[in-house]
Amino acid sequence: MSVFIDRSDRVLVQGITGGEGTFWTKHMRDLGTDVTAGVTPGKEGQSVEGVPVYHTVRRAVAEHPADAAMLFVPPRFTKDAVLEALDAGIRKVVTIADGIPLHEALEIRAAARSCGARVVGGNTSGVISPGRAMMGMFPYWIERVYRPGRIGVMTRSGSLTNEVAAMIVRAGFGVSSLLGVGGDSVPGTRFAEFLPDFQADPETDAVVVIGELGGTMEEEVAEAIESGTFRKPLVAFLGGRNAPKGKRMGHAGAIVTGGKGTVEGKTAALRRAGAAVADRPRLVGELLREILGDPAQI
Amino acid sequence: MKLHEHEAKEVFASEGIPVPRPVLATDPDAAARAARDLGFPCVLKSQVLRGGRGKAGLIKLVRTEPEARDTAAALFGGPHGVRKILVEEAVDIDRELYLSITVDPAAAEAVVLVCSEGGVEIEDLAARSPEKIVRERVPPAEGLSPYRARNVAYALGLSGEAAKKTAGILEALWRVFRKNDAELAEINPLFLTKDGLVVAGDGKLAIDDNSLFRHPGREPGRDYYDSDAAFESAAEGIPYLQFDGDISLMCAGAGLTTVVYDLIVDEGGSVANYLEFGGPNYKKAVRAMELCLKNDPKVILIVTFGTIARADVMAEGIADAVKRLAPKCPIVACIRGTGEEKAVETLRGLGLDPLFDTEEAVRRAVALAAAARAPGAAPKAGGSK
Repeated sequence: MSVFIDRSDRVLVQGITGGEGTFWTKHMRDLGTDVTAGVTPGKEGQSVEGVPVYHTVRRAVAEHPADAAMLFVPPRFTKDAVLEALDAGIRKVVTIADGIPLHEALEIRAAARSCGARVVGGNTSGVISPGRAMMGMFPYWIERVYRPGRIGVMTRSGSLTNEVAAMIVRAGFGVSSLLGVGGDSVPGTRFAEFLPDFQADPETDAVVVIGELGGTMEEEVAEAIESGTFRKPLVAFLGGRNAPKGKRMGHAGAIVTGGKGTVEGKTAALRRAGAAVADRPRLVGELLREILGDPAQI
Repeated sequence: MKLHEHEAKEVFASEGIPVPRPVLATDPDAAARAARDLGFPCVLKSQVLRGGRGKAGLIKLVRTEPEARDTAAALFGGPHGVRKILVEEAVDIDRELYLSITVDPAAAEAVVLVCSEGGVEIEDLAARSPEKIVRERVPPAEGLSPYRARNVAYALGLSGEAAKKTAGILEALWRVFRKNDAELAEINPLFLTKDGLVVAGDGKLAIDDNSLFRHPGREPGRDYYDSDAAFESAAEGIPYLQFDGDISLMCAGAGLTTVVYDLIVDEGGSVANYLEFGGPNYKKAVRAMELCLKNDPKVILIVTFGTIARADVMAEGIADAVKRLAPKCPIVACIRGTGEEKAVETLRGLGLDPLFDTEEAVRRAVALAAAARAPGAAPKAGGSK
């Protein structure tokens, strides 16, 4: 079992004929993901990497039922593409789009909630369970980063994920499922909403949260630990400890306003709840060893 | 994108929110003429994008034409880069309120925040006495219904015409927020005047950067940035922040660049600029290095761990940049990810010593910067050894 995506999930790719769509569809299949159909308006009848292409999601799912939709769609068309997937009955959606208009992000989340669906992203590399399946863009072939194992990972940053995952692997561990919630201020799904899945996953021993300054997602993780919703060990690494106040550090969501969203505050909340917080990427692996023991001995 | 006050108020007025009569002036004589035409007393408001203008002496009440000219001259000539002054009629104030609409990210909906104390820093107030702030949620499917506007007006303790007018202004502010894809629409203070009017004393409007493509007239010009490099990088679509330290960051990915910044500060170093040349910019190494060199850095630090942004392509770009720009400061490079074997070869070909560990790269950059600061130090060209 893995969190969010597994080999049994039938995945539809929206925007499959674009450069990214084509490139990553190949890699998703190579890893074992069951990509059943693709959608690009106007391109029905073509095929990409052996995957048949349809004009609309409705026409695609009529021939190939789908459990999940992977969007390689530009940000300004993302809301429409998400609504199209939801309308066709798909309840798991991943969007990598970087630059979704803020007001549309609100509408996307409201639409997902109203039908019990989960939208992951935007501004993310996606979701991967190494050795099994992925929706998104991960260099799973880099072995020192994407080794299968028993550590769950949730992250707001793609580049930092490679950095921290490499430290998890260097400490002798591997990754069960990795979920990129993305760097936007209003993501489709928030960290804490995945914690029950990791809690229930028998193949996850502990979770690493890669967070950063801004927003309240890390504080919500602390609340989930305090309330007993999440009971496995948790190690966090948070970027932006030294970021100057009022500067937006790259991601739309990475800004401290009015003294709220500081890494200091997040660290205190997580430690109070019993989580470990690493202040350097390397310490993530070391803390996991302290908590779980030497993985070679388990 | 934050708009200047005069732009925000223009938008407010177009939706029916009363604002004081305005004239925009770009030199002291024009400011004095505008003041004379509006009548005294009136207010000179420097149009700069920073908070706390009142405390910083950037807003002045003037009572005569010579005073208006002298004051305007002082504001234009001051250290804050004032290029425009908004001259406004003074308002006879009875009460001040705070009114804003923003996004509550956790709830994923808009929220109205109001307070019966205007002119305060809302964030300070939220920390000090949060009970004074009235919140009203705005569900996306519903929008700001009139009943919600009334909820707010009466919760502020208003009555009669003042309550009705304030509710109307709030509905207009919601239209501003929606039509402009705003992150924030704020009136602070909203004046209730002695003759029963309700007028926007200040105006803040921040448009969501991801929505700017829908607002063609709104490309931010040079006076929206605090440096030439920041302005030029924005035009290129390269994420950039200006600082005043020693080490220029040329990194890939927002999260990683932010952490490199953290680690430099931890090691006692300082950052000249934050710059990302990952994602869609990974072939722009030459332009990125050009922007870094504008800061005359002591060291350029390159840290990447790329997926789509291939390491070998980034390394080629850096080689090209080094050949064309011949930077005099040392370069520390830690380029990993897709194609890193080839990247390492390329970097070695440049005489660089490629590293694989972020923390080690940061320590080396900080040490080189410190050495360059030491008296009599001459930084070594091109290399990092």
